[in-house]
Amino acid sequence: MEYKDYYKSLGVEKLATQDEIKRAYRKLARKYHPDLNKKEGSEEKFKEIGEANEVLKDPEKRAAYDQLGKGYRSGQEFRPPPDWDAGFEFSGGDRAGAHEFSDFFESLFGEAIRQRRAEGARTRFRAKGQDHHAKVLIDLEDAFRGARRTVVLKLPELSEDGRLAIRERRLDVTLPRGVREGQHIRLKGQGAPGLGGGEPGDLYLEIAFAPHPVYTAVGSDLYLDLPVTPWEAALGAKIKVPTPGGVVDLNVPAGSRQGRKLRLKGRGLPSRPPGDLYATLRIALPPADSAAAKKLYEQMADELDFDPRENLMREARQAERAGAK
Amino acid sequence: MTGEIVSEKNKLALQDICERCGVPETTVRAYVEEGVIEVEGENVARWRFSEVSMVRVLKAHRLERDLGLNPAGAALALDLIERIEELKSRLKRLEKDVP
Repeated sequence: MEYKDYYKSLGVEKLATQDEIKRAYRKLARKYHPDLNKKEGSEEKFKEIGEANEVLKDPEKRAAYDQLGKGYRSGQEFRPPPDWDAGFEFSGGDRAGAHEFSDFFESLFGEAIRQRRAEGARTRFRAKGQDHHAKVLIDLEDAFRGARRTVVLKLPELSEDGRLAIRERRLDVTLPRGVREGQHIRLKGQGAPGLGGGEPGDLYLEIAFAPHPVYTAVGSDLYLDLPVTPWEAALGAKIKVPTPGGVVDLNVPAGSRQGRKLRLKGRGLPSRPPGDLYATLRIALPPADSAAAKKLYEQMADELDFDPRENLMREARQAERAGAK
Repeated sequence: MTGEIVSEKNKLALQDICERCGVPETTVRAYVEEGVIEVEGENVARWRFSEVSMVRVLKAHRLERDLGLNPAGAALALDLIERIEELKSRLKRLEKDVP
């Protein structure tokens, strides 16, 4: 087991006051709270500072930790001496919620907390188990078709010798078609077991989409960038467009400009009503890399009366005159 | 096992939502007061919440507990989080317009 430097986790000195610890924790908690920061790794970081705070905010636990940790560095192999916690009484501070703490924490403070919890549990005789929450990353295609997914959950569990172990639980889940990013999926009875014969809690999965190379999902609508040639945009054309449901034909109206959005009704994610797919036109210029291509460009330059900077020049002159007044 | 999408359609009474979220009634009442969740029904006994509000209650409760907020602070944080999410998804769409 690795020794954990809780002072380092919170970025405070060993001699920090309780107020300084509280301030450091609050600041880091706001920064890394998984509800506020969706970046990868923030959840682990939040757990780490939560665990550090759990110990350092409580003067009794802090004193015990200081006593024990003399001479250890973070990450160093660590084994607590037997009966190390004799003489310390851990009171107050409830571990509410589904916090998972490290083995290091559990081996130090787990027993005292479990005893208190067991006492608490006896007073309530029957209760529904807690609901559990987890996030699951799916591909857009899964949302389109519905998919089976194996979700791996890490659950803290008491082993026979009273130690806390992390057990992995695998669940085969069928995700309904048309699920959207940010929606929650309920799996009935897959949460924590009930107490005293109460029914088990439910498991909630929050859906997030893995980035897709072609489509961007916004609700049940999809967006994609659609490259077109200058002549397709200018003259109009019937072109092929990929959608999650297969390739479809799209009419590009004559005189389309760069960035024009064309809607394919009902070609987004399934839903009631189904989402739409928006194709944003990107006009791609053919390279002038052959004599024939160069000739065509030269011909356009000669024959077309086209000045894309006409407005730009006029507006710049107007602005100048307005400024001179 | 087939999952069900948590939707506005499924309705819960005050006691259900408290039990399912593991929070006291006072907390849920405070969230109703702060507008964190919407409620139907003319009096407390007839209050009905959508299942989606359960997710909001849990989120507000986590923020309160982990950041030392009160219900008004948690409500503000939730509103701001939602606004940020909205702006992010707009940004995502706009970034597509600027190749």
